[in-house]
Amino acid sequence: MKDRLADALRASRADYTEIRLERSWTTTVTYRGRRLETAVASEDQGGCVRALYKGYGWGVAAFTSLDQLPAMVARAGELSRAVSLDRPIRLAPVAPHQVEASLDLDGDVRGVPLSEKKRLIEAYNGAMLAVDGRVVDTVASYHDDVTEYWFVNSEGTSLYELRPEVTLSGTAIARRDGVIEKGLESIGLRRGWKSVQNAADGFRTAAERAAALLDAPGVAGGTYPVILDPEMAGVFIHEAFGHLSEADFVYENAQAREMMTLGRRFGKPALNVGDNGAAAGLRGTLPFDDEGTPTQDTPLIREGILVGRLHSRETAAAMGERPTGNARAISFRHPPIVRMTNTYIGNGRGTFEDLIKDVKLGVYACSAFGGQTVLENFSFTAAYGHMIRDGKVAELVKDVVIAGNLFQTLDRIDHIAGDFRWNEMGGGCGKGGQFPLPVTEGAPHVRIEQALVGGDVPASS
Amino acid sequence: MIEQLLDDVRRSGKAAAADCLGRQAERTSVTFESGRLKAAGVGQEAGVNLRVLAGGRVGVAGTTGAGADGLVARALAAAELGEPLELAFPSKVPLPNVPTFFDKTANASLDALIAIGKELVDRLARDGCQVNVSVEREVGDNRIANTAGADAAYRYSGVSVGAEVWRIAGNDVLAVSDSFDGADLPDAKQLHALTDSITSRLEAALTIVEPPDGSLPVVFTPAGLSAILLPITQALSGKAVVQGISPLAGKIGTEVFGRTFSIVDDPLRAGRSGSRPVDDEGVPSQRTPLVEGGVVRGFIYDLETAARAKTRSTGHGVRGIFSKPGVAYTNLVIGEEGKGKGEGALGGGLLSGINDGLLVDELIGVGQGNVIGGAFSHPVALAYRVVSGEVTGRVKDAAVAGNSYELLKRIGGFGSDRRWYGGRSTPSLLLEGVSVARR
Repeated sequence: MKDRLADALRASRADYTEIRLERSWTTTVTYRGRRLETAVASEDQGGCVRALYKGYGWGVAAFTSLDQLPAMVARAGELSRAVSLDRPIRLAPVAPHQVEASLDLDGDVRGVPLSEKKRLIEAYNGAMLAVDGRVVDTVASYHDDVTEYWFVNSEGTSLYELRPEVTLSGTAIARRDGVIEKGLESIGLRRGWKSVQNAADGFRTAAERAAALLDAPGVAGGTYPVILDPEMAGVFIHEAFGHLSEADFVYENAQAREMMTLGRRFGKPALNVGDNGAAAGLRGTLPFDDEGTPTQDTPLIREGILVGRLHSRETAAAMGERPTGNARAISFRHPPIVRMTNTYIGNGRGTFEDLIKDVKLGVYACSAFGGQTVLENFSFTAAYGHMIRDGKVAELVKDVVIAGNLFQTLDRIDHIAGDFRWNEMGGGCGKGGQFPLPVTEGAPHVRIEQALVGGDVPASS
Repeated sequence: MIEQLLDDVRRSGKAAAADCLGRQAERTSVTFESGRLKAAGVGQEAGVNLRVLAGGRVGVAGTTGAGADGLVARALAAAELGEPLELAFPSKVPLPNVPTFFDKTANASLDALIAIGKELVDRLARDGCQVNVSVEREVGDNRIANTAGADAAYRYSGVSVGAEVWRIAGNDVLAVSDSFDGADLPDAKQLHALTDSITSRLEAALTIVEPPDGSLPVVFTPAGLSAILLPITQALSGKAVVQGISPLAGKIGTEVFGRTFSIVDDPLRAGRSGSRPVDDEGVPSQRTPLVEGGVVRGFIYDLETAARAKTRSTGHGVRGIFSKPGVAYTNLVIGEEGKGKGEGALGGGLLSGINDGLLVDELIGVGQGNVIGGAFSHPVALAYRVVSGEVTGRVKDAAVAGNSYELLKRIGGFGSDRRWYGGRSTPSLLLEGVSVARR
């Protein structure tokens, strides 16, 4: 394969050319209730060529037929020449690397029969169904993926990687009369078969929570001190702040650049935020991004001050900064764009108890169902919550939705505990039509002085 | 390759029946960032998806590889694990005639696509704003065949044009976007409609006003209706019926909504990107009324959900290369059909009777939480205050809430601004008594 790639690259007349090839094996097994819904094993393969002539734009050619490789190299070149630019695209320098890397397969899923995978997820699904008669429906899904990956560019970089991934998810639906509640479990790792063998407890807990929520009151809407658990805090920092730190949002927009000026204060001195594509074993982790730039730990906010952003080679050159290894594509079907990897709120001090001890009345928001940010406004739905009363965790509550303005909310983070953890979950991030990209978030418990908790539907008068 | 695969399945003697989808497509796209053409791309894709019925169980496998070696074996292996399912594949029947392929679109040069983008960029350019535009054209072939004799093939073309304008002033970020989707290239009128839609919503948003509060009349634009319609379209899917979670299951013939409310799924509309003569399981396309005059008339099914619900597929099976078929809508037409055509200013003429209320164009978090029950509560992303029949400006810190089933019982009116928004055609809708809260 390497020779084929080298030959194809040599034939290109563009000033810069890169070729990415992928071959992947995936398995998906899904249970719904007691019924097996899907058991599919698939093979996918293809490539993406990007070419750039000086003074012209990007030419991109993606394909599934590898016989087409030489033709696609030529096509990408032609497409580049069709895009003339007044201000040329420049690429920040990255030293060439020649690396063959195989991430820890930790029990190669390709050697495990489909029937074993079925048995595993059937057991986890069964653990949810066995919890309580009120658990009326479940969805439990097993997914794995091993991708063989080649990357070469005309600057001498040549990479070969073997990338594993395994994700499990469970949804338990509990019902009593007209009330329906759910509990979620999600596991996602850049590892293999061995890493998901003892996961029944999480599925059981999800089902127990769904049943418990049937009896829980909805949180009374209002403004409270809010404590986010590491999962909610991680989703918050990814959705509400992370996307703004992607340099393609700012690099050609003078107003956005001003809003995201390095040195601007975004939070109190306790707040540290970063993105680490080199952290071990996480879904956002890879040795190199999809432009052949080594991944790294990139500080974004240090002691409340904006200190960095996430770059591709193009955005880094345009802003006079250094590439950070954040140019990523979900597959060979797409060119790389600026994306997060493993995004985190850095560790603080003290314990969870320290965060709540002087809270008379507050909300503890746990485990994210989902979140969306539109511009500077966000809305996040917690899977469940607890009231905090007189410094103690009190009753279970449901329908906990935190909404607010990003800038205000970041500035209102006043206490960060020292109990950091990575949330090793499935799912993924979507941007520019590319979904789902494997990412991870991490955080300790975080306290927001004041946040709007929308619970019950606002009263209609 | 499809004949070969079906032959291989027959020869294996292990399967009672099989069906196969083959797809080949080429996409061409141009991207403008900050008003500049930055990239041009092509994407070629070819793949097959095979489903076998063996021992009364279903197995599926897919590949994009050049040869389909091992595909039959993988599908059979998957069937060994599968659940029992009495699936009957359709035989060969005449297909309805619906145009899906347009020469003008298929033959459009890269320069022609660039020219469309350039025209939009020029028309949307304004000081202090960033304009991003993308134009994509797809041309493809679908073929679906099975061991029961069905064998259908059709070519299709599709175009999607998207434009967005960003305006950042201090900490206020405003983004207004719109898109065109169709099987054929947009004409000058359609491109003008796209830029006019963005410009009018952008200009009305430059002034920021205080949001109102209380139980108010709210006009939802065709884009803003997503939150209202999502619970209903989920409930009208055979998948929800089979799962036992559809609040509309068993309600056929029952008046559930206001008498002016109707929904029909129509895969036979000329020029729409969702149109096709046959679904991905070989079932001929047909117009499927779902709600008529407020009365529930039907649900959409694919072969599997139909088999489980002991009914017939409505031709709503959709499959990718790697997954088993699922149920999906094609072109949804909402509201009184034939009415509400023509142009309309923002709000489609529904604002005039509003003393104090909102015009909602985009909400945050649609689809999160427990959608199918009908209750929703969302902060606004793009909404305007309406006072004495006029838009006074954009509101930022407000949330709307209600229940789709309740609100659609008392529809205040349909606008004159019917349009396609993605896969649905709808005018603006005036709903009375929506909860609006300030934050």
